[in-house]
Amino acid sequence: MNKTLRLIRTMLKMQYSMTGKSSGEKIGYVLLGVFLIPFSGIIISFLNVTVETLYTQLAPSGNENAILGLLFAGMTIVLLFVSMSSILSSFYFAEDIEGFIPYPFYPYQLLAGKAAAPFINLYLTSGVLMVPILTLYGIHSGAGFIYYIYALLLFVVFPVIPFTIMAILLMFFMRFANIAKNKDRTKVFAGLLTFVFIIGFNIIIRLNQNPTQTAEGAAQLIAQQNGLLQVITGMIPPVYFSTMALQNAENLNGLIFLVLMLTISTGGIFLFLTAGQKLYFKGVLGLTTGSTKTFDSGKAAKKIKAQPVFLALLLKELRTIFRTPTFFMQIIVQSLFGPVFLIVILLFESSSGSFGALSSLLEQFGKKTSLLLLFIFTLFLLGVNPASYSSVSRDGRSWPANLYLPIPAQSVIFSKVMTAWLINLLSIILLAVVGLTIIQMPPLLFIAWITLTLLASWFTCLVGTALDLNDPKLNWTDEQEVFKSRFISLIALLIEIGTFGFFVLLLWNIDTLQSLWMTSILLSLLLAAAIAISHVALQKLIRTKFLYTR
Amino acid sequence: MITINNVTKEYAGKTAVKNLDLVVPDGKIFGFLGPNGAGKSTTIKMITGILPIDEGTITVNGHDIASHPMKAKKTFGYVPDSPDIFLRLKGIEYLNFIGDIFEIPKNIREEKIEHLTKSFGIFEALDDHIQTYSHGMRQKVVVSGVLLHDPDVWILDEPLSGLDPKSSFTLKEMMREHAAKGNTVFFSTHVLEVVEQLCDEVAIINKGRLQFRGEMKEMKEKFEADETLEKVFLELTNHE
Ligand SMILES: Nc1ncnc2c1ncn2[C@@H]1O[C@H](COP(=O)(O)OP(=O)(O)OP(=O)(O)O)[C@@H](O)[C@H]1O
Ligand SMILES: [Mg+2]
Repeated sequence: MNKTLRLIRTMLKMQYSMTGKSSGEKIGYVLLGVFLIPFSGIIISFLNVTVETLYTQLAPSGNENAILGLLFAGMTIVLLFVSMSSILSSFYFAEDIEGFIPYPFYPYQLLAGKAAAPFINLYLTSGVLMVPILTLYGIHSGAGFIYYIYALLLFVVFPVIPFTIMAILLMFFMRFANIAKNKDRTKVFAGLLTFVFIIGFNIIIRLNQNPTQTAEGAAQLIAQQNGLLQVITGMIPPVYFSTMALQNAENLNGLIFLVLMLTISTGGIFLFLTAGQKLYFKGVLGLTTGSTKTFDSGKAAKKIKAQPVFLALLLKELRTIFRTPTFFMQIIVQSLFGPVFLIVILLFESSSGSFGALSSLLEQFGKKTSLLLLFIFTLFLLGVNPASYSSVSRDGRSWPANLYLPIPAQSVIFSKVMTAWLINLLSIILLAVVGLTIIQMPPLLFIAWITLTLLASWFTCLVGTALDLNDPKLNWTDEQEVFKSRFISLIALLIEIGTFGFFVLLLWNIDTLQSLWMTSILLSLLLAAAIAISHVALQKLIRTKFLYTR
Repeated sequence: MITINNVTKEYAGKTAVKNLDLVVPDGKIFGFLGPNGAGKSTTIKMITGILPIDEGTITVNGHDIASHPMKAKKTFGYVPDSPDIFLRLKGIEYLNFIGDIFEIPKNIREEKIEHLTKSFGIFEALDDHIQTYSHGMRQKVVVSGVLLHDPDVWILDEPLSGLDPKSSFTLKEMMREHAAKGNTVFFSTHVLEVVEQLCDEVAIINKGRLQFRGEMKEMKEKFEADETLEKVFLELTNHE
C-alpha cells in the first residue's frame, strides 16, 4: 500500500508539479484563482434559483426526490464524459507508462497510479456541481445532520462507477478496435469529440438563459413524467441507490441503500483493477505512431521535387502542425473554434427568425461605426493566434538545424510568420463566408473589413513570433509544454488589444470623420505603421537573438 | 580545412572550452577524443554556428563562421550527436528539404537519394515518419542528408554510435574515400578501436583544454611503443 501511494504521488507530481515554473507563472495561477471566486458565486446563485424553484414546485405533490434523481442521473452523464477525456489522456496519451514498466510494480499499482489524475478531475467536476446542489437541497428541504454525512459519503463514492464503466469500455475498445492502432488519429478524434461536445453544451446553455423559467418548465415536465423519471433512475442502480439513501436518510432504509452503494463502488474498484490488468497493458503497449507501406523508386521520384527554400520551409511548418495531434488541436481546431461557434449560433438565430435584426442593426449604425465594430469584433474572435506564439518553440530539439543549415535567418522566421498568417486565413475565410451569405454585408463594407482583417492578422503574427523568438521554450519532451503554463499568449493579447483598442477608440472619437473610405484608409495607415514597427523590431530581434537561442 | 583560433566558451560561469587552438587539415581523417563532458560537442557546436563563440575565431575552408555564416555553412555537412530532428517529417521529405536548401537539381537528387538510402538499408522506410525510426535509422537519414549535398568538410559528432556493423563499415569507407579525395573529415568518438583503424590524426581534449594533437604514429611513439591506445588515452586524460 505504501509503495502504491508513493507511485501515485510520483505520477501526479510529474503531471501537476509547480517546480520549474517561474514565479511569474505562479503569480498567474494565483490571479486565475482570484478571478474564479466571483465566477463560482455566479454559478452558486444560478444553482440556488434552480433548486429553489424546482423544490417549491415539486414539494406540494411529494415529487421533490425527483431533483435528487435528476441530479444523480445528470452527474452520471457528465462524469462519464469527464472520465472519457481524462482516462484517454492519462492512460493512453501520456507517454510515461513505458518508463514505469521496467520497475518492480504490480500491474494493479500502475493502474492505481494512472487512475489518480482522472479521479482528481472527477472530484473537481462533482465538487463544482454535486456539492452545491446537494447542500442547497438539504437547506431547502430542512434535512438533518445524517443527510449531510450521507451526502459526503456519496460524493466520495459516486464517481467510481462512471469511471469504472468508462475505463473498461475504453480499455476494451483500445485493445481490440483498429483505431487504437494509430495513436495520433485517436488523439485528434478524441479532441474533435470534445470540441463538438463543448459547442453543443454551449448551445444548450444559450437556449436556456433564464434559470427560473427553465426550472419551472422542468418542474412541470417532471410532475407529468415522474413515472418515466423513476423508470430511468431505477434502471441505473447507483442513481437509484444514491437517491433512495438521501431521501430516507432519517430511517433504516436510507442506511441500507447507502451500504448497497458503498458495496457496488468497492466492487467497481476491484472490477477496474482486474479488468485493467487483462486489457490495459496489452492495449497500450501495442500502440504505434506510424504506418508501414511499401516504397519503390517510382514513388520516391514522385515525392522528390525542387522548390524554393521559402516554400520548403513553409511546407515543413504546415506539415508539422497538421501531423502533430497537440499542434493540430491547439492551433488549427482552437483557431477555428470561434468562427465555427459563431456560425452555429447565427444559424440557430436565423432559423428562429429573430435574426434579421443583425443586418438592420448594421444599417442603423453609420458606416464608420459598423466598420469599427466589425473590425474589433473580428479581432476578438480570432484572438491571439497560437500558431504565431508557438513559432519557434514548436521546433523544440530540431531548432539547432535552423542554425547549422545554410538558411538565412530571415527565411526561417518569416516562413513561420507566413505559416501563422495562412492558418489565420482559414478563420478569416470562414468569417467572410458568414459576412457574405448570412449577414449579407454591403460589398464596400465587406471589402474594407476583409482587407483590414488581413492586415491586422499579419500584425498579430509578427507580434506573436517576435515574443516567442524572444524567449522560446525549446527543451520540451511533450508538445503540450509549448502551450501549457506559458503566459506568452496573455502578453500577446495585451499588446494586440492595446494597439487595436487604441486605434479604434481614436477613430471612433473623431466626429468629423464619417466616410467609410476615409476610415478604412486611416485605419490601414495606422496598421501599416504598426506592421512597419513590428517588422523593424522582429528584424532587430533576429539579429541579436538568432545565434543566442539554444 | 577547419581552423580554431584561441577559442573559449563558458556556460553560465562554467568553462566548457578554454583557449582551444586546433587546425584540422585537408585530406586526413581527424579524430576528436576526450572523456564525457570534455567539451567535444561544445566545440563542434561552435564550429557549426549553433553556439556563439565567447572568445576567439573559427573558420571553415577560410570562411569565418561568425562573420560569414552562410558561406561557411554551405561548405560543411554536420551530423549532430542526437539525430532526433524533424520527427514529424517523412524520411523522403527530410531529404527533399535538404535538397531544396542546398539547391540540388532534381535528377541528381533522385539518383543520390536512392543510391545512398539503399546502401544504408533505409530506402523502404523513406515514406514513414522519422518519429517511427530507430535511433540508428534516424542517424542514417541525417548522414544521407549530409552526403546528399556532398560538402567538402564533414563534421560528425559520434557518427558511429548507433549504427549496425554493416552501416558502420559503409560509413567508415565513405569517410576514407572522402578524405582521400583531399577533403576534411572531422569526427568525435569514444571508441578507441575506431580511432586506431580510421584516424590519420587525433586531438585529445579534457576539461575544455587540448591535451594532445598529432599523428597517430606520433602519439604512440611518444609513449612506450608497446602500450595500447587505451592506456595512452587514460594516461593523457587522467593527469591533473
Ligand atoms: N546547455 C548546457 N548548459 C550548461 N552546461 C553545458 C551545456 N552543454 C554542455 N555543458 C557543459 O559543458 C561541458 C562540455 O560538454 P560537451 O557536451 O561539450 O561534452 P562532450 O565532450 O561532448 O561529452 P560527451 O562525450 O558526453 O558527449 C560539460 O561539463 C557540460 O556539463
Ligand atoms: Mg558530446
